[in-house]
Amino acid sequence: MIDEKKRVGIFSLTCDEGCSIYLIEIFNKKLFDWLKKMRLVCFLTLSDKREIKNLDIALVEGVVTSEKDKKYLEKIRNNSKILIAMGSCAINTFPSGQRNNFNNEQLEEIKDHLEKYNFLPRALALKEVVKVDDEIIGCPINEKIFVKIFEKYLI
Amino acid sequence: MHNHNLDISISKLSKIEGHADVDIKIRSGKVKDIGLRVMENMRFFNQATRGQSYNSVPQLVSHICGTCSIAHLTACIEAVEKALEIKPSEQTMILRKLAMYSMMIRDHALHLYFFVLPDIFNIDSALDLPKEKIKLLHEAMHIKSAGNNLSNLIAGRAVHAPFEQVGGFSNEIDKKKISKMIKELKSVRSYIIKLAEIFYNCGWEFKRKTNFVALVTSDFSFLEGKIKSASGSVIEEKDYRDHLRNVVLPYSQASGFEFEGNEYMVGALARLNLNKNALCSNTKKDMKKYIDVFPSDNIYHNNLAQTIEIAHSIDHSIELLEKSNFKKEPLIKPMKLSGEGVGVIEAARGTLYYWLGIDEGKIKYANLVIPTAQNLINMREDIRKIVSDIYNHKSSSEELESKIKKEVEKIIRAYDPCMSCAAHFLKINWV
Repeated sequence: MIDEKKRVGIFSLTCDEGCSIYLIEIFNKKLFDWLKKMRLVCFLTLSDKREIKNLDIALVEGVVTSEKDKKYLEKIRNNSKILIAMGSCAINTFPSGQRNNFNNEQLEEIKDHLEKYNFLPRALALKEVVKVDDEIIGCPINEKIFVKIFEKYLI
Repeated sequence: MHNHNLDISISKLSKIEGHADVDIKIRSGKVKDIGLRVMENMRFFNQATRGQSYNSVPQLVSHICGTCSIAHLTACIEAVEKALEIKPSEQTMILRKLAMYSMMIRDHALHLYFFVLPDIFNIDSALDLPKEKIKLLHEAMHIKSAGNNLSNLIAGRAVHAPFEQVGGFSNEIDKKKISKMIKELKSVRSYIIKLAEIFYNCGWEFKRKTNFVALVTSDFSFLEGKIKSASGSVIEEKDYRDHLRNVVLPYSQASGFEFEGNEYMVGALARLNLNKNALCSNTKKDMKKYIDVFPSDNIYHNNLAQTIEIAHSIDHSIELLEKSNFKKEPLIKPMKLSGEGVGVIEAARGTLYYWLGIDEGKIKYANLVIPTAQNLINMREDIRKIVSDIYNHKSSSEELESKIKKEVEKIIRAYDPCMSCAAHFLKINWV
């Protein structure tokens, strides 16, 4: 029998993980219903499985702040049919990319850290790095909008 | 095998908040190095807070961590209010307690059901619970939902709550929803006792001599009191910096802390060890068997302690909701616009310290001490002992690596670390 369940991955780049935490609250009501249609193949908050392969839907929160984030996002993109940016950090870099708005004095203070940990010159939104198929606004994600958009791809 | 060299790496530890790696080096049969590395990228809140207005900074620091956001909001507001001589009303303090309880209920439930239970049942994920246990997952959802709904009612949302402000709450409580909320809280009580029974009987034990530190509050409400330690210290909130010392941890985007020169533990276990008499009377009555376990130096009892705290958070919330007559109140204005203030609260994972300097209404400096950062050295030393014990007692080397990985992950999860929080305020400027 062919497994027709959608393969879903949930990923956090640089952020407070507020969207994925809020998503777990949305799960309170929705998870059992969604599990009939999906298989969570990568969500480190709930499981040790790390299969970033043949994903139908990738939900990604956070900003791309370092080279490591960038490579990770590219890997997710290359292995996902649909990639959805989750929350305002992923969509427009705020608040986790707040260093983009720092003045010279603030930038000077963080300069050594940026170099030491291979940070990018500025924090980037997902769409500045890869193709993004859809966006779910909010900080954290808006529950109604999440359900509407996610269920559209779950069918 | 006792003279072996062995390197073990756990990359991106799963089922914790945020990202951490562990590297273990065994040389000539001895544990040489334990690298517990926080792998979160910095988002530079110490710089970002500077220059912000006193009434917008709490919402900014709420973004340090999704799951602990109400704790950051509450501690920061306390520091601002102390600095600017704002005395919150009695009703505001009740609402803050309820907001904190709502966070404890959902945050502890997430940790216990989704991060710890898989280790108890030897499965990868709570979603893989066998059919006869799946009811536990439904119960977890009900408990989290009750916590989430309490956050919505009191603070507007569970993550980055909009109503909690400097000087009070911006929105009036919808009184029509209170009786339904009480009913929902009561409906999940029996699940907590079932969960406590699991941790009470699981037989997990790990002991190593250490110290416990917590803010001891008169009604176990996590908000106001004195900092106490198992070693006998009693400290005023404002004097904390004379007792904590920042320790730089190499190769990590976080730093650790010592209390009066030694490693220590903060969190639910410390709170139960130091303050169990202050628990709500209903909790004391129905959870007596489990509360009698404390004081305990078994680190795994942090799980049982968190379970008791969910029960207390539910019971005290019911009591507060039943007896309070909430009214619309204006936000209290500051008496002055410059000053220095310390806010100390108990967050889900332990004592959270905020120290703010404010000049003409703008933040001049902000120093934070995060619970997980305080636990990092204690965790590292526990890992060292666990690895040594396993190495010295195991005979087959094939089993060795998997056994070490499993036990190390288990002890780290018992601390319920939050790496999103730990990666901030790397540089502490004691001015």
